[in-house]
Amino acid sequence: MRTERLVQRLLGLAAGCSVAVTLLIFGFMVILGLPLATGGTFFRMFTSAWLPHQGVYGIAPMVAGTLSIASLAVVFSVPVSLGCAALISVLGSGPLPALLHRLVRFMTGIPTVVYGFAGIFLLVPLVREWAGRGSGMCILSAALLLGVLIAPTMILFFSDSFASVPRTYLEAAEALGATPVQKLLHVVIPCSWRGLTSGVVLALGRAVGDTLIALMIAGNATAMPGSVLEPARTLTAHIALVVAADFDSLEFRTLFACGIILYLCTTVMVIFTRRIGAAWEQQRW
Amino acid sequence: MVTRLIDRSVTAFAWLSGLVLTASVVGLMGYVLIKGMGSLSPRLFFGNTAPLDALLLRRQVFDGIFPATVGTLTLVGLAIFIAMPIGIAAGIYMAEFATPRIQSVFGLFFDILAGIPSILVGLFGFSVALFFHHRVSDRIAPCLLISALSLAFLVLPYLIRTTQTALENLPRHVRVTAPALGASRLQTIIYVLLPQALSGIVSGVILSVGRCAEDTAVIMLTGVVATAGLPSSLLSSYEALPFFIYTISAQYADQAELMRGYGAAIVLLAVCALLFTLATLIRHRLADHLFYGTR
Amino acid sequence: MSRTEGRLHWLMAISTLVLLLAGFCPAMAGDLDPFSGMTGTVKISGGTAHIPVMKEAAKRIMQNNPDIRITVAGGGSGVGIKQVGEGLVDIGNSGRKPTDEEIAKYDLKMFKWAIDGVGVVANPENRVKALSKNQVKAIFAGRIDNWKAVGGMDKAINVYTRDEASGTREVFWKKAIDKEDITPGANVVVSNGAMKSAVANDPYGIGYVSVGHIDASVMPLAIDGVTPTLETVKSGQYPVARGLFSNTRGEPTGLTQTFIAFLFSETGQKIAAEKGFVAVK
Repeated sequence: MRTERLVQRLLGLAAGCSVAVTLLIFGFMVILGLPLATGGTFFRMFTSAWLPHQGVYGIAPMVAGTLSIASLAVVFSVPVSLGCAALISVLGSGPLPALLHRLVRFMTGIPTVVYGFAGIFLLVPLVREWAGRGSGMCILSAALLLGVLIAPTMILFFSDSFASVPRTYLEAAEALGATPVQKLLHVVIPCSWRGLTSGVVLALGRAVGDTLIALMIAGNATAMPGSVLEPARTLTAHIALVVAADFDSLEFRTLFACGIILYLCTTVMVIFTRRIGAAWEQQRW
Repeated sequence: MVTRLIDRSVTAFAWLSGLVLTASVVGLMGYVLIKGMGSLSPRLFFGNTAPLDALLLRRQVFDGIFPATVGTLTLVGLAIFIAMPIGIAAGIYMAEFATPRIQSVFGLFFDILAGIPSILVGLFGFSVALFFHHRVSDRIAPCLLISALSLAFLVLPYLIRTTQTALENLPRHVRVTAPALGASRLQTIIYVLLPQALSGIVSGVILSVGRCAEDTAVIMLTGVVATAGLPSSLLSSYEALPFFIYTISAQYADQAELMRGYGAAIVLLAVCALLFTLATLIRHRLADHLFYGTR
Repeated sequence: MSRTEGRLHWLMAISTLVLLLAGFCPAMAGDLDPFSGMTGTVKISGGTAHIPVMKEAAKRIMQNNPDIRITVAGGGSGVGIKQVGEGLVDIGNSGRKPTDEEIAKYDLKMFKWAIDGVGVVANPENRVKALSKNQVKAIFAGRIDNWKAVGGMDKAINVYTRDEASGTREVFWKKAIDKEDITPGANVVVSNGAMKSAVANDPYGIGYVSVGHIDASVMPLAIDGVTPTLETVKSGQYPVARGLFSNTRGEPTGLTQTFIAFLFSETGQKIAAEKGFVAVK
């Protein structure tokens, strides 16, 4: 009995430590970013530009960069992912959809840096020539590549939720003479909208959180992006670029503001998907 | 008539989507493979050094990815060594001991940890290293150990989740037989549940290895450098494959170096593919819905 | 055979070997002698213009002395100065002279082992071969945004610049464009090497890079008639010149000191020259 209690304590300790790490990461960022808030620069940062020579360290362009790249990636990726998921779990027949499913799962294992590497030497010149202006390192290139990167997240989530639509519903629709497409449009998609939403939110989270693609492909300019063919810098890339520069300066402190934004973003998305997930479970059982 | 039109176009769209996705992935990866195939040789790893000398650590390797490969292996080994016991223990706790309330609260934290951008984990590691540098010892700076710790934090939630799910998904009859025969809770876990859930746990560990091997954002803030040779101690800087690929992509000095970049990309891709296949062979669709979630 | 004779043979064999070795590697092997028997690590970070020289020096030293580790990281001059000041690395490189404030704050000792310039570069495909200083200023400020305005093709100019930590950027900003702000719309790259490959891959790009890094993949643009080359930098004709510094916190000791001495040795200076810089000795 005593050993059992001891083991339970130890296991609990491990779980507690893991929770502590989560909190510690946030704590560190708040403590290190705090001087900004007391200095009164905290809110100005979100509205002003990044002009280090004038001592202005605004991160508004990076927020805009993150939002535009991530949302564009999701916009590119959602229809394709929806199509793929439909193909895999409802519409497709024969060996090809199964093969596609396998490919999609394999995609989750492809290193991001390899995507970035291929992107620089293959995608960037293509976009540059196609657009006819700019260096090819721009929001569009980054969003396209990021779209490929986040597709498996959505496809697997979508096809899972398609698969969890109760068989009886499908059989009822079949009995009424519905074609596969009609089943998809009138039964499967309406029944799995919660799963679809979660999948999109998760993918958005991944797009916001990715560092490498933006850092390698998006050009990292500090200007407020004006079009998708212009370079932009994301919050994550900004952290990667500036972190090495300085430790005790205001410049370095602003990184923790970026960090806090990203952290809170993640938290909101996680809570949102958990809520939806919980409601979904309830509805299913 | 309209129905048929919709039918046709939706089906066509689905097939087109599949085609677009396949083409993009095959195009991107195929490009790297085709361009880089030629660079795959012992020279890619060992440069001008004799492979045997390099492997026996008699001579240092320059102009080859051997130090970066060894750096990545060491790093991943360390990170998993740190994360595995904690992750699996926490997973067992979550599945077997935690009350539903704790499960939901802790679960939220693990989801957040799994969801935060890896660059934040890197920033955290970097700040911690600086903190210790100022407060504890001058010798601590971003290094192999700091990177391994940060990576361990990064994969911790995956390990916890796979372990937890593997245990929770065990059929009820497995769970009740041993206690019925008089086994204690601990005995049940050790002798019945864990062995049964082993494939799920192991595949989780393997996928975590892949995750550690490919991560770049964390290490670039916590101690990876362009040239270091083989890692000499836990407190030293090191080279790693993904960082090497990243650096080469931005600043290759000449064609030979660029080809090494392609070679390194293929090697890393192959390692990740291998790990992925291994994990797929081991698991039975178990960790499926856990791993594509976040990065 | 007498004892002396034996010793003589022995000496001859050694000297033949030394001569052979010396013939084999033209650089003076003697410059590496101080490292023999030493162990430990030298951590280097900072200036990215320095990296090729640092790598080569590290390679030569480590090949002969397996117990010595020399790690080289980039980051930029600002990073080098800060990191060496904080004690995170042993040598912090900078492509600009550390400011008086930095020297006082961190008790920096500076070692200028080569002279370099910062040249404006474009893609070799570009028709434009020369610019006036005012044109350069206007291009980097974003006032001129098409190559046509300076006699090139009708294509938008893609401006590349460096991050805030860069000494190259600092020198360029001060000496080439008279402290005018660089357009925030410029692509940002993180090292001299990255600048070179970015411009080499972008037919409409323009950037600035350490003169030592200029090779056939990029085309140096003449400014007011002076092309940035090793010669024009050396003669002082090309005005955007700077020193390459290696900085330590306080007087260097041990391995760090030996490493810096090596940079100033004949071999070290030869490496600097081979990598495209003007040696100081």
